[in-house]
Amino acid sequence: MSDIERAARRVIDARLHLLDRQVLDVVGEPVTAIDDLEIVGADGEEVVPGRTARVAAVLAGPAIVTRLLGGHPPPSRWERIEWSHVERVGTTVDLSVDRDALDLDWSERWVRDRVIARIPGGLHDPESD
Amino acid sequence: MKRLLGVALGILTAIGGFVDIGDLVTNAVVGSRFGLSLVWVVVVGVVGICLFAEMSGRVAAVSGRATFEIIRERLGPRMAGANLVASFAINLLTLTAEVGGIALALHLASSVEPRLWIVVAAAAVWLVLWRVKFSIMENVAGLLGLLLVGFGVALFLLGPDWGDLLAQAASIGQPPGGQSMGSYWFYAVALFGAAMTPYEVFFFSSGAVEEKWTAKDLSQNRLNVLTGFPLGGLLSVAIAACAAVVLMPQSIEVSSLSQIVLPVAQAGGTLLLAVVILGIVAATFGAALETALSSGYTVAQYLGWSWGKFRRPAKAARFHLTMIVALLIAVGILMTSVDPIAVTEMSVVFSAVALPLTYVPILVVANDPEYMGEHVSGKVANALGSVYLVIVLVAALAAIPLMIATGAGSA
Repeated sequence: MSDIERAARRVIDARLHLLDRQVLDVVGEPVTAIDDLEIVGADGEEVVPGRTARVAAVLAGPAIVTRLLGGHPPPSRWERIEWSHVERVGTTVDLSVDRDALDLDWSERWVRDRVIARIPGGLHDPESD
Repeated sequence: MKRLLGVALGILTAIGGFVDIGDLVTNAVVGSRFGLSLVWVVVVGVVGICLFAEMSGRVAAVSGRATFEIIRERLGPRMAGANLVASFAINLLTLTAEVGGIALALHLASSVEPRLWIVVAAAAVWLVLWRVKFSIMENVAGLLGLLLVGFGVALFLLGPDWGDLLAQAASIGQPPGGQSMGSYWFYAVALFGAAMTPYEVFFFSSGAVEEKWTAKDLSQNRLNVLTGFPLGGLLSVAIAACAAVVLMPQSIEVSSLSQIVLPVAQAGGTLLLAVVILGIVAATFGAALETALSSGYTVAQYLGWSWGKFRRPAKAARFHLTMIVALLIAVGILMTSVDPIAVTEMSVVFSAVALPLTYVPILVVANDPEYMGEHVSGKVANALGSVYLVIVLVAALAAIPLMIATGAGSA
């Protein structure tokens, strides 16, 4: 039985087991916390009450603002991780992809390329000496 | 042999790392005004920080998750966000006090303008965060901090009336003549906040992840904490006792670092003074590193960023940027010529206010089998944990009313 099947057989409470959990990439690097979830109907359309719905994506970034203050961010501002990238749900949510392959990691890359990597020693491995 | 050395090193750095600017200032102020009549608070605080540090180290080692990830996971984004804002602000205040403390100690040793030292101190702190290996950083600051044992040496050289000191320590709840009951309890809360500073929890839990602890390291963690902190607490008591012996009879109220080290200079001359000043520089420098790291840890863990000194700075870019910004703010505050001693006194009181914010979630998660498996808290830890829950809540609720009623202890 694969991890996904095992996860599917377990009852997962989205609020308890998904929201605000840490997301790790395929090598265990932190990516984000789960700020919100995108839920769609079984056919990928609007959620219809009474019919099955599924989690389509993990939302991060601007979604934290609407979690805090209420309302919905416009879909154009969504920073998503497709649910198909999720490999395992435990005390962390583990992905099957590298964090560099994800669009939502742009702010980390921006700070890295514009600020941190430009300071001498920014690429130095502190554990090497 | 190597293992034995490792154990000894862990304990010694725990002793040297216990005292920071908050303990130093608060113990000296309390000693000069109340003698040793508040020593019981140090004992309560030391037991509390042992309990707290053991739990956070255990949670991090077993689950691999650090405190603020858990706080958000448990309290939700709003409550945890409010907690983050409060914890970050108080941590920033403590960072400011520590950087100011380094500058004051260097000023005492050199008579170069303290504002110049502030910049040098902050730059040095940043350089260590940027370049130096985590374990080296911890060990050097902790071992040099042991030089504060000079306060103990000074106490013996002063040759006090030990019977009188013991009698003071036994007079719980009875401030010496001329001191009001309100101030006594205000300083009790401040001393408790100084011993149990909440940033320690962020630092211990994240440090365990930095050093890649696993369940196997738990006994070492317990040993470090349970022997190192009580011995570190003895250093605190020695600082208070020095002030009680030399400053209290002359009614000197401590308002500067030179007054705090006056008993040392009087007892041991220039040599012992130099040793103690070096100890103060190391202790405040170590604490400045810990608080700067904690500012990065809290924000990064709340938002799920990658964090940690064990990563290359470029692999934890936003974490490093957060620490740089925190250090710049601390320098900015100090550059307004605010008195670092006053900042320290504020920071320990607000630390007491903020304690429940971190204490409660850790207490809950340490009992959660999903995270902890077989390593959930035992009966003793839970019984003590419940007692401290009450103490922490009472101290937090009493802090601000006492501060207002006594004019921050001036009454």
